[in-house]
Amino acid sequence: MTIALQVVISGLAAGGVYGLFAAGYSLIYRLTGIIHFAFGDLVGLGIFATLLVLAGTSPVSQSGAHEPRFLLAILVGLAVCVLAGAGTYVGLVQPYVSRGSTIGWVAGTAAVAFAIRAVIGATFQRSSYVFPDPLPFHRVGTAGYIHLGGAQVQARAFFVAGLAIALALGSAWFLERTRYGRALRAVADDREGARVVGVPVELLVTLAFALVGAIAMLAAVAAAPGEAVNANTGTLLGLKGLVAALAVRFGPPLWAFAAGLVLGVVEAAIANVHIGGWQLGPSYREVLPLAFVLLLISLWPSPEALEERE
Amino acid sequence: MSVLEQTAVELRRAAGEARARWSTPAWLALAALGIAAAIPFLSLPGVRVDALADTAYLALAATALGLIVGPAGLPSLGTGAFMAIGAFTSALLVARSGWALEPAVLAGTAAALVAGLLCGAVVRLRREFVAVSTWLLAWLVWLFLLAFPSISGGSQGLILPPRSLLGLDATPTVHFEVALALTALTALAVSAVRRGAPGLELSALRQAPALATSLGVRLWWRRLGAFSATAAVAGLAGGLSVQLQAVADPVSYDPFLSFKLLVAVLLGGAAATLGPAVGVIVLGLIGLAAGPLARALQLPFERFDTAVAALLLVFVLAFGGQGVLPWALRRLPRQSHPRRRPATPPSGAPGPNEPVLSATGLRKAYGGVIAVDDFSLELRRGETAALIGPNGSGKTTALRLIAGAEPADAGVVVVGGVEVTVAPTAERVRLGIARTLQASTAFRELTALDDVLVGRAVRRRYGGLVRSALATPNARREQAASETAALEALAIVGLAGAADVPTPELTTSQQRLVALAAALATEPQVLLVDELAAGAGREELGLVADALERIRERGVAVLVVEHNLRLVRRVADRVLVLGAGTVLAEGSAAEVASSGVVRQAYLGTARL
Repeated sequence: MTIALQVVISGLAAGGVYGLFAAGYSLIYRLTGIIHFAFGDLVGLGIFATLLVLAGTSPVSQSGAHEPRFLLAILVGLAVCVLAGAGTYVGLVQPYVSRGSTIGWVAGTAAVAFAIRAVIGATFQRSSYVFPDPLPFHRVGTAGYIHLGGAQVQARAFFVAGLAIALALGSAWFLERTRYGRALRAVADDREGARVVGVPVELLVTLAFALVGAIAMLAAVAAAPGEAVNANTGTLLGLKGLVAALAVRFGPPLWAFAAGLVLGVVEAAIANVHIGGWQLGPSYREVLPLAFVLLLISLWPSPEALEERE
Repeated sequence: MSVLEQTAVELRRAAGEARARWSTPAWLALAALGIAAAIPFLSLPGVRVDALADTAYLALAATALGLIVGPAGLPSLGTGAFMAIGAFTSALLVARSGWALEPAVLAGTAAALVAGLLCGAVVRLRREFVAVSTWLLAWLVWLFLLAFPSISGGSQGLILPPRSLLGLDATPTVHFEVALALTALTALAVSAVRRGAPGLELSALRQAPALATSLGVRLWWRRLGAFSATAAVAGLAGGLSVQLQAVADPVSYDPFLSFKLLVAVLLGGAAATLGPAVGVIVLGLIGLAAGPLARALQLPFERFDTAVAALLLVFVLAFGGQGVLPWALRRLPRQSHPRRRPATPPSGAPGPNEPVLSATGLRKAYGGVIAVDDFSLELRRGETAALIGPNGSGKTTALRLIAGAEPADAGVVVVGGVEVTVAPTAERVRLGIARTLQASTAFRELTALDDVLVGRAVRRRYGGLVRSALATPNARREQAASETAALEALAIVGLAGAADVPTPELTTSQQRLVALAAALATEPQVLLVDELAAGAGREELGLVADALERIRERGVAVLVVEHNLRLVRRVADRVLVLGAGTVLAEGSAAEVASSGVVRQAYLGTARL
């Protein structure tokens, strides 16, 4: 029982981060009609840009959070992410979208992903770094951990989950209720049509991509302090987010978040649960959910999957 | 005639066709191949033959990828996964089961083909989902290799014992020549596929999926074929290259490999058959230049070369470039196409007066809105009927139900005595129902003739991927026959002279006639024509009417949906008036015009 509870709770904690990323991916897709292959790496960029300002490339300890420069570092990280986000659109996405070339922006955003990872990997060569927690979660419970019915859970996991839900709800409100949100939906649905009725398409989408950068930084601050980070952190978390987002076909961000939670629990269960003497084990943790989602998407029977209507 | 003589005749014919199509780029490609083949024997300083062979295997995989990126327009980020599958299948068979190299490589190719067929279901999705799915596939295979060291050999990889290749010592030189030969063969096959039916149909599906599907092209089938063929060739390249490296190391098959292949294809130019191979060479050269540069700058850039290449790609594409090779080919003097003889429209004899289409009790509702209700219609050979009615009265929906673009809620459709109520579009087109679409007129990147050739999809027996790739005598004969049929169809609509004109250079009205010819090229018994004359001027109207009359003369039953009553009066033997989804009146144009019900429902105070 305790193991089951531990699995669920640690799974939900990890899944909260996946869900945050998944909500980010599906939000981007709904805002712009683009699947942003570099989103995970943008988060990595936010993390390491902050660390760079805080302490150069040398390691940082948790006490780094008390330095006055930390706020500045986070702001610089935010600025870098916003600029990288907007720059990605202006330089790498817009030229192709305007020509209707899907391959172009796929390759463009993937190129950004690899470029960011290469730069981070080259600059920060240790196998792991600590990202100081801007919020004092270590004072909550026992050194940041809360006991919950026999299971231990990081206090900040609740913060991450809350943030993801806030992001999902906030984006739903933004898309449904605000003028800009509706305009962006119009753009994602029919770019030319939106242009014709006077929506400033380019400006709006550039802003949306800048917003994507800001979301990436938000995800960085939320997710990075939980565990040690390196150049691959953003990429791998981004991969989980992509899996969860694809499972709900880039549907509403709240669903994507839920899919992320499920993914977290499933991974924990695969790694830890054994039925009798039979156990899948940690080797299957990464592989099985990925294979399952691919199967799911392959068997997707809906005609809307087809590219074009008459 | 003996088999030998027959073969000789076929070979002579093939040689003749090759001569007729031979061009400067072909000479250049042949020269490049010759020079490349000689490189290992020149013992050039600083050239490592094993690196060359490795690059050549990459070029092999990239050349195959060019087929789905170019004509099909599918962004596949998973080619490296198929290379990995081929590599580890053959490596395991050689290292653990002691197989010889050739059967092991074939098994690897087969494994990749099966994987391609299994994953191929994603190709019917939107392109961005194809990209994500293949990307996740690349990760899946890589993570699998990392998670199961018992299969992948873990951090050391699988060490492979030396094996002979085609009876020769498997030196890097032998590998290089094999890779070069396979790349050349793949390029020939891809080029044949691009020229043949599969390439044309893949390209049509990329440009206008709905239009291509309405002409009977099977999206799922065509894309799956190309996707799994690419997977198989990637598996072949993977299986061979792993033997060259003598160790199967999981690290070499991370998702970056897939990305690198896509970059190579785009950089070299997916529009040209050899573009992807050129892209791989460019990447290799950048790698050679970037290595010392990274050392000089003391940058520990792992993958510095491809980071550079990716940036280069971004610039190439951002400025509207189609890649290196298409750019270079445009610099060559253009060769004039051989003039085609314009065909004269054949006159068909009107057949017996038998019904070819009968639709009974068709019904379709969208939620609470009933678009078509109890719609029945019978059409005879050589008869032209017109369906008129106000906007939203269900005319186009009725056509869509008959053509199978969407399923009817109720009712029966019979064509030529065969019930097709639940048959898919392609099957109905094969049985003789063709439809022109209201909005999409033509494929933007094709010539008028190619556009019409898309309509031959359901009439081809030898247009499959394998036959086209091998350019079998049947496939080539059929291609020639298809062209003749397409020229005839163009002649019937009065556009025989425009065969080689790129579609966008035609007027809108001419493009509509091309679409009509494409529908006609499917050899229909029943032709459904949706608002062909919308916006046409008086002169153009005459051309459309002439075309429709020539089609009727051939015994085809025609159903036109039309707002232009002048055209209706001229071509229609019978007019059906549709209002709110049901047939309000039926009769000759004059009868319908005098019917009070119709005037009230549709015409108001106007006179027909």
